[in-house]
This record gives sequence, C-alpha cells and structure tokens, in this order.
Amino acid sequence: MNRARIGALILRHLYNFKHRIDKWVDSFYWPLMDILIWGLTSVYIRNASTTIPNLVMILLTGLVFWQAVWRSQYEITINLLEEMWSRNLVNLFATPLSVYEWMVGVVLLGIVKMFITVGFSFLLVFFMYQVNIFKIGWLLLPLIGLLLMSGWYIGFIVSGILVRYGTRIQTLAWSGVYLLAPFSAIYYPVKSLPLWAQKVAQFVPTSYVFEGMRAVLFEGKMDLIMLAKSGGLSIIYLIISGFFFVWMFNKSRKIGLSSLE
Amino acid sequence: MNKVVLEVKNLTKIFSGAFSLKKMKRGKSTVAVDNISFNIKEGEIVGLLGANGAGKTTTTQMLLGTTEKTTGKIKFFGKDFDKHRQSILQEINYASAYTQLPKQMTVYENLLVYAKMYQVENPKKRIEMLLEQFEMVDYRNKDVKSLSAGQVTRIILTKSFINFPRVLLLDEPTASLDPDIATSVRKFLLKQQQKYGVAMLFTSHNMAEVAEMCDRVVFLRKGKVVAEDTPEGLAKTIKHCSLRLLVGDGLKRLKVFAEGRGYQIKVKAREAEIMIKEEEVASFLNKLAKHDIKYSEISIDKPTLEDYFLQMSDEGKK
Repeated sequence: MNRARIGALILRHLYNFKHRIDKWVDSFYWPLMDILIWGLTSVYIRNASTTIPNLVMILLTGLVFWQAVWRSQYEITINLLEEMWSRNLVNLFATPLSVYEWMVGVVLLGIVKMFITVGFSFLLVFFMYQVNIFKIGWLLLPLIGLLLMSGWYIGFIVSGILVRYGTRIQTLAWSGVYLLAPFSAIYYPVKSLPLWAQKVAQFVPTSYVFEGMRAVLFEGKMDLIMLAKSGGLSIIYLIISGFFFVWMFNKSRKIGLSSLE
Repeated sequence: MNKVVLEVKNLTKIFSGAFSLKKMKRGKSTVAVDNISFNIKEGEIVGLLGANGAGKTTTTQMLLGTTEKTTGKIKFFGKDFDKHRQSILQEINYASAYTQLPKQMTVYENLLVYAKMYQVENPKKRIEMLLEQFEMVDYRNKDVKSLSAGQVTRIILTKSFINFPRVLLLDEPTASLDPDIATSVRKFLLKQQQKYGVAMLFTSHNMAEVAEMCDRVVFLRKGKVVAEDTPEGLAKTIKHCSLRLLVGDGLKRLKVFAEGRGYQIKVKAREAEIMIKEEEVASFLNKLAKHDIKYSEISIDKPTLEDYFLQMSDEGKK
C-alpha cells in the first residue's frame, strides 16, 4: 500500500469532480429530486392513507406513465449523444440529411421504443402486482399521446442545449426530464404541492395527465378540459422546443459541428 | 475544357470569442479563414496545404456546411451551396481521419445506413464492390470497434465513395494507414479520378503524397491563400538545392570555405550538406578541387514540396 499513489488517485477524481458538472448532479441533484418526489408522496399517503383506494395501482400506473415521458425524451437526447460519442455527427450532417429529418427520425424512433418499454412495463405490473393499466380504457390513448409529446418537447430542449455545449453537460440527457417530475405530480395530487409549485404545475402539461389518470382510477372518468389544457400546452411547448433546437443547432454550426466530437 | 465543379469565392470564417462570465464580455474573435478563393475542375485533384491552424479543416467543414461560413460564396456544379444544400450534398462526399463511425455497428451496417442516406440504388451490390476495392471484404460483418485505426480509415473512405460522388473532400485520408495500404488507397483514388472524373480536395501532411496525387496545390497560411500552383511549380520557387558531400580530407577547410562565401552548411560526421543555388553547383565543386578538398560521394537533392512547406511554415512563424 502506497499512500502517495492512493492520494494521487483521489486527487485525480477530485479534479474530475471539479471540472464535470455531471458529478455535481450526482451529488446534489438526484438526492434533491428523490427527496422531493418521495417526500411529497409520503406526506400525501400519510395524510390520506385511509381514503386512497387502489394505492398500489395509483403508484404503479404513475411509474409506468412516467416511463413514457422519460423514454420518449431519452430517445431524442441519447441519439444525439450517440452521434457525438461515435464522432459521427459530421459524417451524418455531411450527407443530405436535414436537421428537420433528423428530428422526425428520432421522434418516430421514440414512439416505437416508448411502446416497447411501456408495453413491457404494463406486462410487468400486471404479472407481478396484478395491476391492469388497461382498466383506464380508451383514455389511455390520449393520455399516453400527451406523455409522448411532453417527452418530445423536453427532449428537444435538452438536445438543443447538448448540441450547443456538447458532451460536457451530457448528464442533462438523464436528469433534465426530472426537473418537471415534482411539478408533474406523478404519485400525489397537485394540491399536495406548496402553493407556488401548484402555480408552476398549471403550466406543466404532464400534471394534467397524472391528475387525469388518478381521476380515472378513482372515479372512472376524467375532466376532458384537463386533456385539452394538457394538449394545448404540449403543442405550444413542442413548437417552441422545435424552434429552440433548430436555433441551437444553427448556433452550433457557427462554431462547427466538428467541435462537438 | 473541364467544367468547374467547385468555386470558392472570398470565403471567410471568423470565430467569435467565447463569453467570459468573469469579465462579462466576449473574448477576441479569431479569423480562421480569411477571404480565400479557389476553384476545382472536373477530375482535378487539388491539395489544400498549410501548417496546423492554417484553416484547412475549417475550409473543408464550410464546404460541407457543417461549419457556417461568415461571408463568401461556395458553389458546387454552378449551384449556390446555401440554396441547394441537399442536392449538392447528394453528389459530394467526405472522408476524414478525424471522424469515426458508430463502433457497435458492423462495417456492413454502417455502410448500409449511409447508402440509404444517399438513396443509393442496389446498396448491397455497391457496398460489396467497394469493400472489395478497399480490401475490406473479410471485415464486412465485424464490429467497427474491433478494427484497427487503419481499417476504420479504410471504411470511412469506403463510405465516402458510396454515393458515386462527383466531388470528394478528403481531410488527411491516408493518416494512420500502413504504407502499402496507403499506396493502394492512392491508386484507387487516382483510378476514380481518371475513370469517373471525380474531383478531389485533398489535405494531407504527407508532402510526397500530395506531390504524387495533386494536380494543383492551394497553400494556406494563417487562413489566407499565399500560393497556388502545381506541386512542381511550388517546389521550384525554392532556389536552393541541397548538395551533400562525403568528405575524405579537408572537412574543416570546406566549412570555412562555404561559410566564407555565405553558404549555409551543416556537418554531421564526415557528411556535409550545403544549401546552394543549382546553377552555382559546378563552379562550387570546381573551387573545392582547387582548395584540395576531397570527397568520395556526392548527391544533389532538388527542392521538393516538403522544402516549400517547411519554408512557408518558417516564414509564417516569423
């Protein structure tokens, strides 16, 4: 055992910690998100444990629905990162491929992969916990569609930042979507949030989806106005995020796409 | 007369300085490419030379549209690149030693993706033919990650021919190749030039390769075109040749004699290298005989493109 060598190794990783934002995210962001989400969920359950029917179903359906958001955004961001990691971005955009074609391609891929992941999750919760998410009925389709759209707009915003600043902030590909998680009220109702957060949640399309999901599971119906609100906001955000991604991509071209590789 | 397939006019690239949060202002801008103009005709191979940071790669990237130009015009086949990006990129291609291909995919899968990207008809046949020509058939089903650097370079070159390009932009295409493979790649490139009239813009640090391949050389220094000529023409601008003598007797006298007449002389063991104008060699040797300086071997090396490159790089540092 050599103390100098062990010290050098620790120093190497401390330098890494100093320079890499993703290491900071690991240290602070994830604990914060976990404590926020699960803290709020625990408070909700404690305060209303006797009145929550189908608690397991609520939690598991929320979990599976969140997979849809996560998967569709992840597919967009990770595909961009894959090209950067493979140093293939210049090769790709030196072909006639346009940035719009790339966007459509990753969105379509996201739909396919989301259905695979969510379908697998449906089966898992059914066989492991006897929770049948199909009980939601026809509303499942618009709800999943809205979750997909949320994944896309988050994916394009995160990808816009990645395509401009490169892999040094790649942690956003995994963590970006979780910024919306506390306001999405995945496992607890929006009214469990502090007042200021409830106001933020009004502008988060996924909050209406999860509220709607709970309403369907509790009462067998949901307010279609909530669906419309979520759809309207999602469309607005999707348009803005699309423009944002193209704008950042063009900004990156000013520096040179090769600088991302 | 061959048509012009690539026309570059007053092309400039200025990189804005990064914004500093500490100083709350932008850093200095850098002029990477400064108002350069050149063209390439059908079937012509033009070398783009210059020291590191001269602007070669930035120029290539601007020609591909992966780096946005600041000002200037780029035309391929008489069409403005800004207005006809997609149709132009359909007819050109690119290979660089600095890019890679997805490592988890096989060679064939990678090539098939690019064949589809260019909508190549009968892609399988095209891939097989190119793999054969680049001697990569045995690696068809291997993952790119299992290939050596040289083999990856050959696959990237294979990719660059997938769409029957009319113009190829090659950024150090033979870097990391073994000499025998580099020779066969050069032969293949020359064959494509002769058979199909493929025009190429070629950057390389291997001057012998540039001299062999290129019809014309555009020399960049600090982003500007400082010379444009044939490789021979550029080499000829160097007035001095290298006269090497293996001196038997009178090495010290030779040094005094050469330096006294203002010649640059380098001595290593018994070998002396004198930089001298070609037309002065005969009279110099004559005078050595009169001073009784004896030598057993003599060689005269004419200036090469490499000498030109070194001279221009030295001038650039001053």
